[in-house]
Amino acid sequence: MSEARLRINSESVVHETIEGEVIVIDLSSGSYFSLSGSAPDVWELLAGGVTAAEAAAALEARYEADSETIGTGVEELLGKLVEARLVVEDANGNGAPAPAAPAGRTAFEQPAFERYTDMQDYFLLDPIHEVSPEGWPKPAE
Amino acid sequence: MGDAAPAIATSSEVDPGLVFLGEAERAFERAHERAGGHLDAIEIAGVRVDLAFAGEAMRAALLPPLEHLACGDRGEAAIRISVFDSASTGVGAPDLPWRPPRVEPGKSPVARYETEECCLLASAATGSLAAVDFRRGTAVFHLDDTAALPANERAAQLRETLHLLLSRHDRWLTHAGAVGRDGRGALVVGRGGSGKSTLCLGSARAGMEIAADDYVALEPAAAGPVAHALLSTVKLTEESAALLGIGPDLVAPGEFVVSSERVAKAEVPVERLAPGRIRTSLEIVALVAPKIAGLRKPRLERISGARGLRSLAPSTVMQTRTRGPSALPALARLARAVPCYELELSTDVGANAEAVARVVGGDA
Repeated sequence: MSEARLRINSESVVHETIEGEVIVIDLSSGSYFSLSGSAPDVWELLAGGVTAAEAAAALEARYEADSETIGTGVEELLGKLVEARLVVEDANGNGAPAPAAPAGRTAFEQPAFERYTDMQDYFLLDPIHEVSPEGWPKPAE
Repeated sequence: MGDAAPAIATSSEVDPGLVFLGEAERAFERAHERAGGHLDAIEIAGVRVDLAFAGEAMRAALLPPLEHLACGDRGEAAIRISVFDSASTGVGAPDLPWRPPRVEPGKSPVARYETEECCLLASAATGSLAAVDFRRGTAVFHLDDTAALPANERAAQLRETLHLLLSRHDRWLTHAGAVGRDGRGALVVGRGGSGKSTLCLGSARAGMEIAADDYVALEPAAAGPVAHALLSTVKLTEESAALLGIGPDLVAPGEFVVSSERVAKAEVPVERLAPGRIRTSLEIVALVAPKIAGLRKPRLERISGARGLRSLAPSTVMQTRTRGPSALPALARLARAVPCYELELSTDVGANAEAVARVVGGDA
């Protein structure tokens, strides 16, 4: 299991949780995502910075399933989130305390990750070219 | 990113965006002195916006779709946008201190410089320049020549500028239509081509009230979300016009123009197509995501708030993306607060309108 501490890539994504589902919009690619099952629990932990092992341990406290099932589900989800650049390594973070687990454990649902690309045409057809002070005074020709 | 220019060392700590903003304001003042001007006060979602025009050309091109929001002189403006063009005033815009994005076939790139204090936007497609001052709630908007503006792109010119300034007042330009009855309405959501305009305009022609077919200003009021009208025009494709029974007596074939949207559309006043049906605000009691299905009878299905938010939020957030506050929390509050439906559309326009009427009447 990877030791890397990960966090939400808040520089380029916005997200909201509604009815147990997290909607994530990636402003840098035009894709948006739905996280359901136990994925919103992992996303909540990522807000404060978390390693795969810490996330798996937190889910084991909440759900009835063996560690291997939970660990594999968490690792696969984190792999997809990293690949989509929705989360990035949190080089300086120490992690935040995990939210308190509910009193009783419930049946485990695999983390579900869905990617939607039907909005990419807005992004690709009306691209925004960011201009920063570092790349600034290039005179108009 | 993209065509962003390579770095060249700056000799001063002064924000080049603020420098450009000051130059743009002075250019507007010169245009105003030369060509005279008008001040038009409008109210969008309860926020007074002053539009100061230098000369007549920009006022003639950009004001008509906003005129229904005129509010006279009451109250103090929270937002002021100064608007001028070069062709009619003889005053040019200040030179951009960066290379504008290249015009690419089939694309409409925009160059943007944004800080906490200001935002500059330069559109390659129309040549428009917007310089927004977040500190004072003001902006300068410039075009070289209104004659070069496609006839179906006039109404939307100030949309991005308004979005940037209204978002500081918790008003959110939302990619959605709104139709209803007796002041209660449904927010009609979905990406371009999902049937929003067809459903909204069809409902208005069937006797319902319409605030907009494409963009509303959403106010997340404590008593319940309210959708406010922005433009008094709708955009129609030839296909939608045929489906809605709108013939050349109402929209002439020459009004359908291909522009940056890459599909021939006509920009038409609602009043021409559905007289007396426009309403400046509707209390939103439901969210409806239409889906073009070509059914004999429309099919209405309750969907989760999460699915409703997925239909509503991405196109709004992508089209109004900015480093400033995001519309997403306000849109999520709305999707939590009202029931959400998917409406598979029928070819029977009146039956589609009846389905929306049932939703807003609480009979769905």
